Amino acid sequence: MSTQHSSAPGGRVWKQWATAVIGGLALAGVANAHHSFSVFDMTTEKTLEGDIVEFQWTNPHTWTWVSVKGADGKVTRWGLEGMSPNFLGRRGWSKNTFKPGDHVKMIIAPLKSGEPGGTLMRATLANGTEVVNFGRPPGGGPVLPPE
Amino acid sequence: MRVGQWVVTTLAFALPGTMAFAQPAPAPDSSAYAALAKLPEIAGLWEMTFGGGPRAAPPEGPSFTPAYAAKLKSYQEAQARGEIQDSPAANCVPPGMPGVMTQPYPIDILVTPGKITIIAEAYAQWRQIFTDGRKHPDDPDLTYNGHSVGHWEGDTLVVDSVGFTTDTALGGFGMRHSDKMHIVERFKLAAPDKLEIQTSITDPDALTKPWNSTRVFARHREWTLAEYICQQNNRNFTTDDGKSGINLKYEAQK
Repeated sequence: MSTQHSSAPGGRVWKQWATAVIGGLALAGVANAHHSFSVFDMTTEKTLEGDIVEFQWTNPHTWTWVSVKGADGKVTRWGLEGMSPNFLGRRGWSKNTFKPGDHVKMIIAPLKSGEPGGTLMRATLANGTEVVNFGRPPGGGPVLPPE
Repeated sequence: MRVGQWVVTTLAFALPGTMAFAQPAPAPDSSAYAALAKLPEIAGLWEMTFGGGPRAAPPEGPSFTPAYAAKLKSYQEAQARGEIQDSPAANCVPPGMPGVMTQPYPIDILVTPGKITIIAEAYAQWRQIFTDGRKHPDDPDLTYNGHSVGHWEGDTLVVDSVGFTTDTALGGFGMRHSDKMHIVERFKLAAPDKLEIQTSITDPDALTKPWNSTRVFARHREWTLAEYICQQNNRNFTTDDGKSGINLKYEAQK
């Protein structure tokens, strides 16, 4: 499945969804699983394209390390937090979803600090498969975490 | 230490009623195991379902006493100023009750003679609910998950819990409770694979009326518990004064 992100809902829609769900959970007394999203800019979707360095299938979060070549040719290693192996493993992911050297296109919410990191929303693998880590995918499909 | 001295010391600590760990439990016989088969099948792996979505009416929040409403307001103001950015959970401190029951990870309910055990996958926690007729200790140790006793009322398991440390939050950010928090949960199968847990929280210091909520859990026979060691690769952190951060130093997993 190939996907186009140009028609994706903008940050405003995501922000409304995130505010409603995360705020609703807090009001319901549903504890946040591990941490707040305060370090991430959840209103921005940034596209990254690069090669997987390592996919760490670890708790409390998976970490995807990816080498991204900038317009100036300089390669930067980005660190992307993801949902846990426990959560993703029950939703179609495995420790082999990303392998070192895989070329992937990723949609992330970047760190507010400007450092090369963020939280992974979804990714398109070299074979066109899209995998959703967190949030509402454009054009429908499963929402993670479930509403 | 001489063995005799060790025995005397141990016996002193094992005096009835002195410690929550030391209450006697009778050895179960075969009839105790057979009796379990007649109970509703609450045993198994369950995960809370998130109800409603963004268009659903928000659930009713707790009604705080003025003192505890002020604590929440003060917290929210500090959040708005950017002074508090995260909770201790970012440092892998587990949620305690009632949050341990509302994590986005499964719980596994084990039913054995005289005791029901709830394993919460998140933070690898457990609760033990004594169903052998014992009472709460007169002066319970204050713990994250409290001291729980349960009994069956028809097809409903009623669990009564006390003895909570005030280190934990009532649920949401900045919502606090006192050490007098008292939680009653009613577990009932709404359908063979749908478990409803009605939770009523009272707290004479923090709440002006009971805070009632109902959560629905879906059974997952196809799942097994997975390990959750929060310290394995935790790159989030909160400082003592509430600032959050993230560690981006790359280290290959060994």
